[in-house]
Formats: sequence, structure tokens, C-alpha cells
Amino acid sequence: MVKLLITLAFAACIFTAQAMDVYPSTYQPPEAPDLLIINASLYVGDGSEIEKGFVHVRQGQIVDVGAGSPVDIESTWVIDAQGKWVTPGIIDVHSHLGNYPSPSYRGSSDGNEATSPVTSEVWAEHSVWPQDPQFPLALAGGVTTLQVLPGSANLFGGRSVTVKNVWSRTVQGMKFPGAPYGLKMACGENPKRVYGRKGSAPSTRMGNFAGYRKAWIDALEYQQSWVRYQRDLTKFEDQRTASDDSSDEEGKDDKEEPSPPKRNLQMETLVGVLDGDILVHNHCYRADEMAQIIDLSKEFGYQVTAFHHAVEAYKITDLLAENNICSAMWADWWQFKLESFDGIQENIPLVHSAGACAIVHSDSAIGIQRLNQEAAKALAAGARLGLTISRAEAMTWITGNAAKALGIDHKTGTLHNGKMADLVIWSHDPFSVYARAEKVFIDGVLRLDIDKGLKPVTDFELGLRIQDTQS
Amino acid sequence: MKRLLILLCLVAGYGHGSPVLIKNAKLAQHGLDNEMLVDILVQGDRFEAVQKASSFADDVYQTLEVIDAEGRWVTPGFIDSATSIGLVDVPGLGVSSDNQVEDFPLGAGFSVSLALNPDSSLIAMAPTDGITRGVIVPAPGNSNYAGQSSVVEFSGHAEFVFYTDNAVHLYLRERDRKFAGGSRAAALYSAMLGLRESQRYSQNRRAFAANKLRPFKLSEADLKALAKVVSGQLVLAVHVDRAADIRAVLTALAEFEAIRPVLMGATEAWKLADDLAARGVPVVLNVLDNTPDNFDKLGARLDNAAILSAAAVRIAFMSSTPFSEFRSLTQAAGVAVANGLPFKRALQAITSSPAQIWGLDSLGSIEAGGIADLVIWDGDPLELMSTPVKTMINGNWVESRTRQSLLARRYLRLSKGQVPDGSTAGLEK
Repeated sequence: MVKLLITLAFAACIFTAQAMDVYPSTYQPPEAPDLLIINASLYVGDGSEIEKGFVHVRQGQIVDVGAGSPVDIESTWVIDAQGKWVTPGIIDVHSHLGNYPSPSYRGSSDGNEATSPVTSEVWAEHSVWPQDPQFPLALAGGVTTLQVLPGSANLFGGRSVTVKNVWSRTVQGMKFPGAPYGLKMACGENPKRVYGRKGSAPSTRMGNFAGYRKAWIDALEYQQSWVRYQRDLTKFEDQRTASDDSSDEEGKDDKEEPSPPKRNLQMETLVGVLDGDILVHNHCYRADEMAQIIDLSKEFGYQVTAFHHAVEAYKITDLLAENNICSAMWADWWQFKLESFDGIQENIPLVHSAGACAIVHSDSAIGIQRLNQEAAKALAAGARLGLTISRAEAMTWITGNAAKALGIDHKTGTLHNGKMADLVIWSHDPFSVYARAEKVFIDGVLRLDIDKGLKPVTDFELGLRIQDTQS
Repeated sequence: MKRLLILLCLVAGYGHGSPVLIKNAKLAQHGLDNEMLVDILVQGDRFEAVQKASSFADDVYQTLEVIDAEGRWVTPGFIDSATSIGLVDVPGLGVSSDNQVEDFPLGAGFSVSLALNPDSSLIAMAPTDGITRGVIVPAPGNSNYAGQSSVVEFSGHAEFVFYTDNAVHLYLRERDRKFAGGSRAAALYSAMLGLRESQRYSQNRRAFAANKLRPFKLSEADLKALAKVVSGQLVLAVHVDRAADIRAVLTALAEFEAIRPVLMGATEAWKLADDLAARGVPVVLNVLDNTPDNFDKLGARLDNAAILSAAAVRIAFMSSTPFSEFRSLTQAAGVAVANGLPFKRALQAITSSPAQIWGLDSLGSIEAGGIADLVIWDGDPLELMSTPVKTMINGNWVESRTRQSLLARRYLRLSKGQVPDGSTAGLEK
């Protein structure tokens, strides 16, 4: 009990910086119209679908979803989506938009702080350029929320940031309110290549693990230093109170007030993980390495939220399900490096079928524009193998499950009452290659409308890029 | 009657391989009604006849191997207009990449054909996505002229090179300026110099052999290859993005009457659609590559194909990406359709159009006399949810077993709670 209290007190105090909400989100959606979409085919994002139904949005929130025609609902704006599909806004859990923007030059490339294998002190949001023209391209693919991660050169790459895909002058204006931070970690070839080439550690996979373990040991030590400080502070304050009560000048304790340990940004992020406030997103290709990482997380008492790329997730679906770890995967990238040699097109459906959490991610400014198509490819590969998965279930790979991995599933990712009205109206079934996102709403605000030619244009594009006539 | 006699002769054992009849095929290709079902007779490595369904003589249906397509879509085998399958195995591993010459004085004369590997595990994957042929292109390593591509069949046969050295590839993109001192003006100058030298070379071969000509900048291998470009024997594939550069290179190339340029990538080609149509210059597009990731590509857009096609420019598609995304070829075609390209044109861009551009006369369509590459699909071939039911290359059905399918089947049992034991048991159907 005492220990719990100390831990709680400690948690409250160590994260003064976080409690202060530094670099806070300033995203405030403009006032959203009352909106009723009727006669749509709905993929709910939780694995279910409604063949013909409606979605009612009020003040930027979903307030009613149902089958058939709405009864007793009046709305100032009714969209008849006959023959069209509605899904939650698409979520990409692995993106580098803004920190590897277009145009791509050394001067704009800000994704990898490849100067030390442990850089958990860097925050991706300090690299994100909000005028990256790739953001509107992703919006045209229905993407309303994305996690921007540091690159994979380092064992600990830094903190990620989850943003809403809205045009803004500042990153703060895009930050998803209340979304937890993520920590990017990386397995395998990248860290050992980047540092091995420089003649420093790590240069092997075992070197990678030694590096992780050392950092976690340091984090535990840092965590303890704050626990000690808190204990000393409590003792000091108790003594002061006691002496105040005695109101005896003679008995005054002349012991000095303990001073807090110096803040260490690198360690703060790791302790945030140990405390369960920051979610671990671990770049890892090979099954055997993922299994090792799971043991690493047990050694130090933290949870891996998601393996990213997870090209061999299909080989350890049982472990992934057992340990409640999501896998964020590509539909068909493989063999581009040695650790991706065993990639298969059936990876995503195999993970899903084993009852583990499957996600389709992009890691690409091209792929993020068509996550629905990537899901379709994976679904087709599963069907070839005889796996029966419905389209509605596959939709969770790019909506509900993705929201879960980002810790925002109580706010977005499904068409449920009370959720943010992040919605896409598709011209066709989104599993069709011919489908286009016709209208995209974020918090109930129309951000893209191909009929009206409405879409964001970044500062960079003004006067430089001629917009598509087709959209 | 005459036809029946011929057929009976075929059945009697002419040619190699036994004849196959694919009946009730919904033929998806230019010039035929999509709704009409046809029967396709294959003899040896060729299409022998294509007729309205059930219109062959009865004997044919009784005596041949008959595959009933049951009204499914059938397309010619798809042709990828730029890929590196068989030349690059694992891009991240330098040692498995043979597409680039860096520290050796060989440019246009470099022929990828000598390094192609029919045993690459990637090759078997291509037909599982309906792709039966590909143009295997070199990448620039030390010169704007990267070398010569070859066309291969994705059959896994040792003799899989179909057309050796079908085009010389010239790279004039933003990052290719470095091969000519850092300016794209110098890159174009150097490219033209090569063509002029090759012309001088071919007009004075005897003097060249006798060392009586003032020295050439290029090696003899390069000169020989470029001489074929100047004479129009080989296509000149120009990899270029920016509209200004497209204009500049086409204007410069007009110096040579017989030259046959094809634009590759050509991100901003849409700006010059009418000009390209007038000049009869075909364009090979990477449809999905629509980010302005450098200043040459500010005009990148998904409807490049639609605009070019509407202006009557001949277009073809490439899957060319650093990763092994075969499905990106049909995906590209589908996305082009979603962005305004007529379905038929999209299909042509991966069948008859590349066949025409790359000089593959007998490929790209299902018609009598053509090479028998075809795919039976379980749905619309451009849809990502569709899958080839059967793929034929050179008149032979291709086995759909790949390294990837074996891995999938080994671990399929995990979803039923069975950990694989690493033996081959259970892999065979």
C-alpha cells in the first residue's frame, strides 16, 4: 500500500513537464454543421457493417448511427449517400509525413537523429513541417489521423506524435488532443548497420539488445532517483509540519529541503513507458527478434503496444495474441532487405485469423494515400489461402485497430455514438480499386470534397503546383 | 472444314505440347466486345484461333484439353514496362543488385541480359499477380546512359530472356545531373555527344578500326549500342520528369530522323500532351508516384495517364518501385481508371501498348498467331480483390507454388493452434 502511494506520488511529480502539457495541442475544430448522412453502406470500424444506414453528427460528434432510415431526426444538412460507402476516417499508425516531407532533400529530411543509438529525448513533433504537401494527398485517401514517428536508425528513436490531418500553421494546431505519446524503438538491421558502420555499438543484434537493456536499467535507476527524492521530500515536509505544530523555536529542524534530481529528457521518455503513459511502437521484422523483444519487455516490466512492419508476424501469431500486441504491417512489401525476405502477402490475414490485432500501415507517402487498397490486397491474399474474413472485419485494420494502437480508440476509429465525427464518404466500396474518398470530415468539418474541388493547399504548393483537374 | 482439318493435324501432334482450349472466356482486351464469350485455342506456344464461344467443331471440344473459364475474365498476360526482377534480388543487399555500373567505363553498352537470373525467387511471384513479361531496366551508375534493357518472361525457364537489348536507357532526371558535371544542360549535351559520336563511328567503321579517327569519348561497346539508337533499330528510353527537360530532350533529338524516343516516368508529361501526341512519342508512367518529392516533380498528379490518353498519346505502365509490390501494376492501372482513364486504355497500358512500344509484336493480345500468354481471373482483373485462377506463359500453365506460398502454408496451421514442426509434412496439398 505504502509502495503504491509512493509510486502514485512519484508519478504525479516526475512528470511535472508532462502535467504542464508542454507544446500543447492547440487544435480547435471550427464549428461543425449538424449533419445527417442517409442511405449509406456503413463499415463501422469494429468489424461490423450496416448494409443501408445513417450517421447523425452534431457538434462534431457522432450522435446516432443505425440501420434503415432515421426516425425523428432533423438536420440542417442531409447527404443522401445512396450507392456510396461510409467509413470512419482512416488512421495510419506509421507515417513520416512532415518529418520526411516532399520535396525530399537533406535540408528537409528530419526523421532520424542518427547520431546516437539512444535518442529517446527527441520528439518527432519538433521535426514535423505542417506545410508538407503530402498531408493533403493523404487526406484524399481518407486519412484523418496519423502517427508521425522518428525513423528506425536508433534503438530508441524518440517520441512520436499523433496528429489530425488538418491544415495548420503549426504542429500544435494538428496535435490530436489528449493522444498519448509513443516511443519508437527499432530492432534488427537498421541500428546495427548505422552504428556498426561508424565502428561503434551496436554492430550486431546482440549489441542491439545490450543497448536496450542498458537504457532500461538507466531508466529504472532514474525512476528510483525520483522515488528517493519524493520519499525524502515527504519526510522533510512531515518533519517541518511536526515542528510547526510544536511551535517550539528550539526544536526546529535545520535539515535542508531535498533538491529534485536534474531532469533527463532521454530518461523521462523511458520512464513514461515504464509507467504506462507512453506507448511502445517497435519497428521489428523478424519473428525471432519480436519474441526476444517480448522477453525484454517482461524483463523491465513494460508493454509493447505494437510491432511495426512485423513482416514475420505470421510466424508468431500465438505469441502476439497472448501478449496483446498489435502488428502494423504492409500488404505486400518484402524482400527489399534481408530481414524482409520471408514477407508474405498473407501476413495480415494470418495475424487477424489467429485472433491477434492486425493493422495495415504505410510508412510511405504513396502508401498512405491508399490504405484501403492495401487492406484489399491483404484480404484477397487471405481468401486465396482459405481464410474467411469479411470486408467489415478487414476495415478494422485501418480504423478501429489502428485507433487502439494509438490509444485513441475511445475518441475515434469507429462509427459509434460519442466518437469524433471523423468520416469518409467513398464513391464505391473502399475495397474496390476504383473507390475514391469523395468527402472527408474531421470532427464533423468537411475538409475534402472532390465534387466541389475543396481540399487543403499547403503554403508550399501555392503558385507551384497545378491542382488535379479531376478532383 | 479446312480449319477442322488443321486442328486435327494439331491434335495429331504437331508442334510441342498438347493443344489446349480455354472455353467461355470473357475476353478483356481492345477490339473485342467485353460481353461476348469466346473460346481460345492454344497450340504450342501460340494462340491458334479465337472464336465465339462454342463455335469450334464438336470434335475439338471432345479431343482437346478443355479448360472452362465459366464466363470469367481472361486477359493477355500483363507486361510490366520497367522492373528489376531477375536483376536485383534483395535491393538492400548491394551484392544481389546487378542493375547498375558504377566504377567501370560502360554506359549504353552495358547489357543487363548477361546478369539475369531465372532462378530468382521473385520471378515465380509475378505470374501469381497476372504479370507474364517485364522489361528489365538498368539504373544509372556512372553515366546518363545506363545501358540496355531486356524483356523476359516470368516462367522460371532457363531460357527466359525473350528480347535481348531492346532499348537503351538515358537518365535525365534531377539527380542524374551529377553524371555530367552537375548541370542538366551538360547532361543533355553529353547525351547528344554520344549519339553524334556513334553516328560518326558507324559512318567510319573502317577508319575507326584502323585508329584513324580522332579519339572518341565513349567506348566501342557504347558506340555500337548508340549507333542502333540513331538508326532507329533500338528504342531510346528517356527517363525524365520535368516538362522543360522533356521539351529540351525532344527538341535536341529531332537532329536524328530515325530515332525512336520513349519517355519513362515523365511526371510532367501531361503539360505537353498535345506535343507528345503530334510527335508520336509514347510515355511509360509510374502512375502511383504522385508526390512532388523533388523540384522536377512539382507537377505530379494522378490523372497524368488520363490527360495523355485523351490527347491520343500512347501510354504504358511500370510497377517500378524499390520494393516487391507486384500488385502495384494492376493497382496503378486501377487507380488511373479511378482518376479518369477509360478502363480499356488502362488495360492496354499493361498489354498491347507496351508490346507495341517495346517491339514485342507477338505479345500483348489474344489473337491467332500471338504468343500464348494469358490469365484467367476470378473477377475484374484491375480489382485488388481479384486473383488469377490460372496463368499461362508461352502456352504452358504456370505453377502457382512460390517460396511465399510455401511459407504461408507452413504457418497457416498456427491459426488453428498448431505450431509447425519445420518438416515438409502438411505442405503438400
